[in-house]
Amino acid sequence: MAFDKMELRDIEVWDGNFAAAQALRQCQIDVVAAYPITPSTPIVEGYAKFLADGYVEGEFVMVESEHAAMSGCIGASAAGGRVATATSSQGYALMVETLYQASGMRLPIILNVVNRALASPLNVNGDHSDMYLGRDSGWIQLNAYCPQDAYDLNFIAFKVAENHEVRLPCMVHQDGFMTSHTAQGVKTLTDDAAYGFVGDFKAMNDMLDFEHPVTHGVQTEEDWHFEHKARQHSDLMTKVMPKIQDAFDAFEKLSGRKYNIVEKYDIDDADVCVVCMGTSVETAREVATEMRAKGIKAGVVGLRVIRPFPFFEIQEALKGVKAIATLDRSSPNGAPGMLFNEVAGCLFNLDKRPLLSGKIYGLGGRDLTKKHLVDLYTELQANVDAGKVTTQLQQFIGVRGPKLSFL
Amino acid sequence: MANTGWDEFEIGAMLRTFEGSVDNIAGTLQEDRNYTQNSSFSANVSDWRIIKPVFNKDYCIDCQFCWIYCPDISIIARDKKMVGVDMDHCKGCGICVEVCPTNPKSLLMFDEHIDEEVALAGWPTKEGKK
Amino acid sequence: MLEIRWHSRAGQGAVTGAKGLADVISTTGKHVQAFAFYGSAKRGAAMTAYNRVADKMIMNHEKYMEPDFVFVIDPALVYTSDVTINAKADTKYIITTHLTKEELVKSQPKLEGKEVHTVDCIKIAQETIGRPIPNTPMLGAFMKISGMYDIEFFKESMVRILGKLPQKIIDANMIAIQRAYDEVK
Repeated sequence: MAFDKMELRDIEVWDGNFAAAQALRQCQIDVVAAYPITPSTPIVEGYAKFLADGYVEGEFVMVESEHAAMSGCIGASAAGGRVATATSSQGYALMVETLYQASGMRLPIILNVVNRALASPLNVNGDHSDMYLGRDSGWIQLNAYCPQDAYDLNFIAFKVAENHEVRLPCMVHQDGFMTSHTAQGVKTLTDDAAYGFVGDFKAMNDMLDFEHPVTHGVQTEEDWHFEHKARQHSDLMTKVMPKIQDAFDAFEKLSGRKYNIVEKYDIDDADVCVVCMGTSVETAREVATEMRAKGIKAGVVGLRVIRPFPFFEIQEALKGVKAIATLDRSSPNGAPGMLFNEVAGCLFNLDKRPLLSGKIYGLGGRDLTKKHLVDLYTELQANVDAGKVTTQLQQFIGVRGPKLSFL
Repeated sequence: MANTGWDEFEIGAMLRTFEGSVDNIAGTLQEDRNYTQNSSFSANVSDWRIIKPVFNKDYCIDCQFCWIYCPDISIIARDKKMVGVDMDHCKGCGICVEVCPTNPKSLLMFDEHIDEEVALAGWPTKEGKK
Repeated sequence: MLEIRWHSRAGQGAVTGAKGLADVISTTGKHVQAFAFYGSAKRGAAMTAYNRVADKMIMNHEKYMEPDFVFVIDPALVYTSDVTINAKADTKYIITTHLTKEELVKSQPKLEGKEVHTVDCIKIAQETIGRPIPNTPMLGAFMKISGMYDIEFFKESMVRILGKLPQKIIDANMIAIQRAYDEVK
């Protein structure tokens, strides 16, 4: 092979961005088409440097916008390459039109999304507004809680997305700054082990297969469009989860690190729990343990897979809990909140429904402190004791000014 | 095709041009290629026409203007010689006639029901300078 | 859990310092975290960086911290930002200054009654590295005050971390670390 291998220590101190860049190097991406935006830039910058230094055999395409970046990725992927890029926030918003193209064309592109707030007002810090913007785009969405996850989930993403029964693009989400710029110990894979896990890229319907010419990006009107969308949805609903589980199992065998479609923490006997994503999952775990020392049986449910939405796994995890709070890190702007709605949908037809309330927190990188979570678990326990939700259903956490609650 | 269900398509809304594998496609004439039903070559659109082009080889200088300008690749050329119109795919737009530079023109539009012999028999003569 | 807050100006290397420290500590089997508060920061703007060190996996991602150590690597920040915010009664301060400890505390009464150590990292960096980048000297001073690691082990580790820099710069950093270790009061 025409590239050098890199010797890594067993544990490297990497931030989430560098961890993702290293994973892209180890997967030997053929094409990265990218446009820079805070806080995701170091991922593609990292790939470009590895390429320039001879550690990757591939192409880095500098483009004029994120729309062009994903368009370039779509072209390269349809041509038959292993393709990835990264973006955040406004760049992600500009990419949205092409996200639907990529998934409809069933191209296994990997997009590292370093989650950041959406303007206005302009803000470079982490929340989940951009992640929520793409949740109906037909991509698989995986969620990292720390730099280790950001590294590992990239391998999982390629393994799942490129499977010929799946062939769907996949996003790996990590929290802007809280993961992307936070250095922590990351247990590494050797270059050979990492590449061995994802394997050689196996092309499917690639445009560079001249013996089997194909047309990509076709038009279908009301005669056939619905059938294609139905097929895509059906595959997301039935084929993706088993392949994610297979990839998690294979990855555990390789690395010893176990990932689950829904990450349950102390949930089996929990009276109260929070459902959340990103770094908040880990902070909540720490607080849940502290609450148990105070006699409150607290648990945490973290989404590892956001799309396809793990309906039955969430239902199974939460059915015995007495009071639940969903934590949405995106302004719902006139609605109860994505997690609140999705979780409510999971629970609605149960005979015995838990008490459910929703919190909006952390917009624009506002800190979610352990004290916020202590207060939240205490409030949930009060709901359990009262046998009803004692507050309004939607509350804002950590916002200055008079207490803000609705519904 | 019209009754194909959601589970019967290949994924990705991609369309194959040929059945099976192809080799040296550039060196294979269209009529010898194994097009799929998905290829527009397999679709006959002759009924879209109300008027049709008739080709008169007596005046043609093989300039290839019609071949270049035809929007439906319906001008048949062999060895850089114009040999006729692909009447399965011609929609009767008349652009070939419009761009034909000969005097009289080598392509003219006629009603769809006029016989070719009749059309050729009534072909106009060279126009004088005005 | 050991927690450290750095007060710095963007461009003085607090992030690099925090990540470097985390890297060294990680090699001894402990769990580490290093992060910073960024705004749309320009070179020279006041900023803070953070370290967490623990024997088990660090799951806490809150930015709020009650630090065990506060590092101030720019002398003016003692006056223009509150370096004592969210501190504990036994928080230790290592502050870059040309003043004596007594003069410093007198000029900033908030430091009264606190465990304050002084070292002139700016001067040391200027005289050794040739640029006012006070991050590595601060770590030398920290090794002395905390007794965390033997200074020779720490310097060897920093040689690896500074790896890509020219040998001359690495050598100068080693002298800077040793000088701060020796000179901190």
